Amino acid sequence: MLHSALEQILPRVQKPARYVGGEWGSVTKDKNNIDLRFAFCFPDVYEVGMSHLGSRILYGLLNDQKNIWCERVFAPWIDMEAEMRQASIPLYGLESGDPLSDFDIIAFTLQYELSFTNILNMLDLGGVPVLAKDRTSLKNLVVAGGPCAYNPEPLCDFIDLFMIGDGEEIMLDLTNLYLRARREGMTKQEFLIEAAQIQGMYVPSLYEASYNEDGTIREYTPKSGAPAFVQKRIVQDLDTMYYPEYFVVPSTDIVFDRAMIELFRGCPRGCRFCQAGHTYRPLRRKSKETLMRQAEAVLKNSGYEEISLSSLSTSDYGELGELTECMLDYCEPRHISLSLPSLRADSFSSELMQRVQKVRKSGLTFACEAGTQRLRDVINKNITEDDVLHACEIAFKGGWNNVKLYFMMGLPTETSEDLDGISEICKKVAYCWRVNTDNRQRGVKITASASCFVPKPQTPFQWDAQNSLEMLRGKQDYMKVIMKTKNVTYNWHDAQTSVMEGVIARGDRRQGQAIYTAWKNGCKFDGWDQCFSYEKWMEAFAACGLDPTFYACRQRPLDEVFPWDHIGCGTTKEHLKREWIRSREAAITADCMKQCSGCGSNRLLEGGKCCV
Amino acid sequence: MFKARMKFAKEGRAKYISHLDLMHAMQRSMARCEMPLWFTEGFNQHAYVSVALPLSTGYSGEWELLDFNLLSESVPVNAVEALNAVFPEGLRAIEIYPLSDGGMPLRDIAWSKYRVTWSFADGVPEGFVQEVSELFSRDTVEIVKRSKRGEKLVNMRDFLTEVHLTTEGDQVIVEAITAAGNNNMSPEYLTRAVEQYLPQYTIQGAAYHRMCVYNEKMQAFR
Repeated sequence: MLHSALEQILPRVQKPARYVGGEWGSVTKDKNNIDLRFAFCFPDVYEVGMSHLGSRILYGLLNDQKNIWCERVFAPWIDMEAEMRQASIPLYGLESGDPLSDFDIIAFTLQYELSFTNILNMLDLGGVPVLAKDRTSLKNLVVAGGPCAYNPEPLCDFIDLFMIGDGEEIMLDLTNLYLRARREGMTKQEFLIEAAQIQGMYVPSLYEASYNEDGTIREYTPKSGAPAFVQKRIVQDLDTMYYPEYFVVPSTDIVFDRAMIELFRGCPRGCRFCQAGHTYRPLRRKSKETLMRQAEAVLKNSGYEEISLSSLSTSDYGELGELTECMLDYCEPRHISLSLPSLRADSFSSELMQRVQKVRKSGLTFACEAGTQRLRDVINKNITEDDVLHACEIAFKGGWNNVKLYFMMGLPTETSEDLDGISEICKKVAYCWRVNTDNRQRGVKITASASCFVPKPQTPFQWDAQNSLEMLRGKQDYMKVIMKTKNVTYNWHDAQTSVMEGVIARGDRRQGQAIYTAWKNGCKFDGWDQCFSYEKWMEAFAACGLDPTFYACRQRPLDEVFPWDHIGCGTTKEHLKREWIRSREAAITADCMKQCSGCGSNRLLEGGKCCV
Repeated sequence: MFKARMKFAKEGRAKYISHLDLMHAMQRSMARCEMPLWFTEGFNQHAYVSVALPLSTGYSGEWELLDFNLLSESVPVNAVEALNAVFPEGLRAIEIYPLSDGGMPLRDIAWSKYRVTWSFADGVPEGFVQEVSELFSRDTVEIVKRSKRGEKLVNMRDFLTEVHLTTEGDQVIVEAITAAGNNNMSPEYLTRAVEQYLPQYTIQGAAYHRMCVYNEKMQAFR
């Protein structure tokens, strides 16, 4: 049953189905018969959070434990938040409707930097103190994990404990320790000191940061026996790893509304701009048999009409041909379509294309990333213009008339020649369509998107200066002039959000104050154009005496100590440094399948040997 | 292949599922219990389902109708139970039958019976029930009605047959039969009419529930 106060406001808000729960697959337990209440919070709206595979896995995993009840919490959209505050309704778990402050562990997944203010807002709306130091008991322990935990420093003021790396095992280590701590009557501090001994757990309050005169980090000093270096956790074997047999099937439209299976974790490519490619190593695959079994289970239990084979580089799955063949045998008679995101242009074949279009045809996206071969070599993308044109030729001959091309601007060493290259490729793709289509009357839609590059921690480009707002805007203006090919739609995104993302991505713990100030001044949903205020962020940084350009636009010397140096992502800093040096020579590094580049992540595997 | 109809209820948390989302929820629920649905052919193949007289988002109902096509010889045994085992909370199948079994054409839908629940912060005001009863027994209650063709001043009484009021604690329950189909009148106009003609009263919350659907002859729609 929904609370009557909630029922009063729901008729007035947009898409109320997001706020009521009760979907197929959502888990309800008797709260008197469980030991631990866990709030899994996604700091964005329901439609975004529900699309996230990691959250689906961990929700299933936690609820599989008899004594734990895990509920979902999302950020209410602006209109709902206003109604909730007006009616004094605290933020609640979707399953029980109980306020966030009733939960033992409150966990946030950190998918992108511009969702950080939503974390503060959600805690506040849930009646939980925003600052870690104001939460003195074990109840309402606030933890976080996910990609942005590879540089957790900007969130140190708010989060009690970070979990670094794969969540499947460390999550249960956390809940087990928490239950023991409560049995033994530990204080929060005693619990945190003990937690810091578990691999992958980072307790920021047990580390003291000191700074050089120029504002850079001097060193981190661990206290109370916390380790000097926190290495991430990985799951050794994906075949035996937990995978949910059911998903919550939303009763309203979400961004990625389909079943998903994970082919492998990690990526054999070493694209130098890519954080996921460096932090999910080493590569671990699932067998074809496991995948088929899991796909059948999730499809049967969800009723979805589409399944996506997801990974960082799907065409690098060795048995992709056999897998898609088997999948189609199951899917085709049931009218279920296959989607294969993250296909590389250099491995796109007509057989593969026919399989993905067997049931329903979807769009095709090829990531070229940069406009010239030189710059693609700098970023180690390792595809050529011929690869792209060849892939497009197959697509157009196969009757496709909707292709998206994806680029970045503001990459290190970029010149105007590289921007011209983007326009050139688009022209060639448009020409390729004219030559290869069997029906010119039908027309074609080629969409070229150029996003602004953000240097990320734990990548070879972590030393690089991000382009300033003025530079990025200048480049966008230039692109608008040169992207004039017929049939090509050019999309760009405002550079201000990318700049802000860049500032926080490589921030240190002094930024906590700026994030707090920005939130106090009304910043939330910063990833949404209609909510983002660059001015408010600039004011917040100024008020805290911090210079955003220090974080984003500064070329760092190779020997600088970074705020995230004590957090291990598997790949070593030496490897990243080597890759940075090679990038300046536009020297490419072979993918893991061809030759080991010695990134160091194999040391996390039992036996120390990668299987690629 | 034959045409089938399901009578179902949409209540509780499912009230907030919009019309388009309801069709997806139905398609996926049917896939989960392996109902032998007929799929459309062509570019975007999908299970064909159609909801008659969709409820506004936020309304509940217990006489909802969904038409679809089945590939089997007859309605599978235990189809109702199978579907109820896989529905999201708040959806409930009541009956599934072939259209040939007395199914009426959708164009014959003429009336809906609604239960409107008005709630008040500080109890039902004195005289409220009587004044509202009097209002709806007048020969003419003019109100601006909005439709696809624009706004129009109409006499509500033409779109309304019975109106019954009862008091239950802090709430007033109205049961009314309103026009459906071509001359549809939303039960929300009952609330609006009170606000317009009896502005001295403030209705704090209004909940709408469809109890039944009828044809022109006031036979329960099947």
